[in-house]
Amino acid sequence: MNGRSISFLLVTFLASLAFIPTAAAQKDLAVVVNPGNPIANVSLGELRKLFNGEKRSWPGGMGVKLIVRSPGNRERTALLQFLNLSETDYKQHWTALVVRGEADTEPFAAPSIGMVLEAVRALPGAISLVYVGDLKPGVKVIKIDGLLPGAPGYLLR
Amino acid sequence: MLRVSNTAVAFLALAASLWAQDSAPVDQRTVALLVEQVKALQQETSDLREKVKKLEADRPTAPSAVAASATVAPQPPQPTAEATPAESSPELAAAMHDLHGIQWRGFGELDYQALDQRQPELGTYGFVPGSAANFYTGDFDLFLHSRLTERTSVLADISFEEGDAQSYKLDLRQALLKYEMNEHLKISFGRYQTDIGYYNSAFRSAAWLQTTADRPLIMEYASNGGLLPTQAVGVSLTGAIPSGRLGLNYIAEYGTSDTIRPDLNGAGTFNDENDGNHVLVGWFARPDWAPGLQLGGSFFHDKISDSEVSLADRFGQTILNSYVVYIAHGIESLNEVFLIRETQLATGTVSNMPAFYSQISRRWGRVRPFVRYQYINASRRNTIFNDVGLRAGPSFGARYDFNDYVAFKAQLDHTQRQALPDLNGLHLQVAFTF
Repeated sequence: MNGRSISFLLVTFLASLAFIPTAAAQKDLAVVVNPGNPIANVSLGELRKLFNGEKRSWPGGMGVKLIVRSPGNRERTALLQFLNLSETDYKQHWTALVVRGEADTEPFAAPSIGMVLEAVRALPGAISLVYVGDLKPGVKVIKIDGLLPGAPGYLLR
Repeated sequence: MLRVSNTAVAFLALAASLWAQDSAPVDQRTVALLVEQVKALQQETSDLREKVKKLEADRPTAPSAVAASATVAPQPPQPTAEATPAESSPELAAAMHDLHGIQWRGFGELDYQALDQRQPELGTYGFVPGSAANFYTGDFDLFLHSRLTERTSVLADISFEEGDAQSYKLDLRQALLKYEMNEHLKISFGRYQTDIGYYNSAFRSAAWLQTTADRPLIMEYASNGGLLPTQAVGVSLTGAIPSGRLGLNYIAEYGTSDTIRPDLNGAGTFNDENDGNHVLVGWFARPDWAPGLQLGGSFFHDKISDSEVSLADRFGQTILNSYVVYIAHGIESLNEVFLIRETQLATGTVSNMPAFYSQISRRWGRVRPFVRYQYINASRRNTIFNDVGLRAGPSFGARYDFNDYVAFKAQLDHTQRQALPDLNGLHLQVAFTF
């Protein structure tokens, strides 16, 4: 193996090392809330109850405002996988909650990440899912079972 | 991605230089080619940056994926402490406005039902008793919900139900003033659906929400021949019980159901039960460790009479219910068991009437095939439910969702009836929401 081949392999290896941590972290879904929300950590079970409408208030009594992506977006797909529901079943689930008076309305479906972030900044009780690569200042990332996105063992992606 | 591209460019440059140190005259062209490629990549990066700047300038609140990636470090983000001023776009403001006005949702259905005999049967929802087959519209429901304050809201269910000769009966199935003190105490005043079983509280009167074309007979509205007091006027309390991952909740109701139910023989006779005030206590659990699973049960007690015999002859009515429900991964499994116990107060005669239904379905794309088996064994000695007797049998069918608003259901029913011929039926339904 001549020097040219060694340098090529070295460059390839170093380049892949540089790429891996960025890609892994950006695949994680961050749970974001309004910065004024004192919550810092939720369990995976609590998170599921927040997003399927079973838990409708934060500790202290502030109402939960769910912000989700509109159908067809990758955050929506990840949310449905997390809840183990299809798009149709998810809509039926929320319609039933509204009919039973257990929810005011279906979650606000934002057509863009920018609108998700804007809603989370604007609404004190807001919560949403945003890929790490799309995060912007002005929202607060909370831990799931004590882990932040990118940490080993983080389950939401 | 731009950060990665810069890194890749740097490494390519490094590779080019290392390559150059080991150069032979014949490789000079390769080096030149690589340098050209590096320059091209740098130019492409520069162009992309310009495009990102332009996009951000045009839409500051909706950055593209490229821009977002460029501003985020690969390390996990840390919680930010400061809030930024809310700058709501008109679109967002409009969406948020919906959270405050009156929310309303409509449900409708068109049904076609055919039976294999003209023996009179339940003649409700516009189905003509003794008819071999006919169309009817069932329920047309308007659900209204309005949040008055952060903790107070109003809920109503206005139903237009087809009756005989295509007349329509207006029924205020729910009219509730709700107050949510916190997760542990939610109070409702008004007319409510009793929490006597999962089905009654989960599906209300909307056919579109149901997988099957009809409700199980045991969970049918009492005003349509069902055996249970499905609605009442009074006060209802519910809330979470601190129970960790068990997800335990309680239910308590005190109210008047005042049930009038038609006999199932299609004769047009009714029994006014003249209920007293009922007490219902119940529980349900949604454990964290089994997403989609719900377990529950309830105890109901009231005093009723049989208007077809004597209003003075009172019965103590106790209804026990327990259920196991699983809804996740496209599977819907509903299983409920009941014991209706009626004690004639004057004589002490006791009638125990067990009932259950089990329904399972699974979604494959737009289609959800289902199977249901139901069983009711009402004592013939009980004068209130002697029109029911023993009824049992399966239902098969499928629901097809055309879209998020319209579904078609086809259902075959086979019912064995005590002292009557078996009954076979076909039920087609178009259910919609708007």
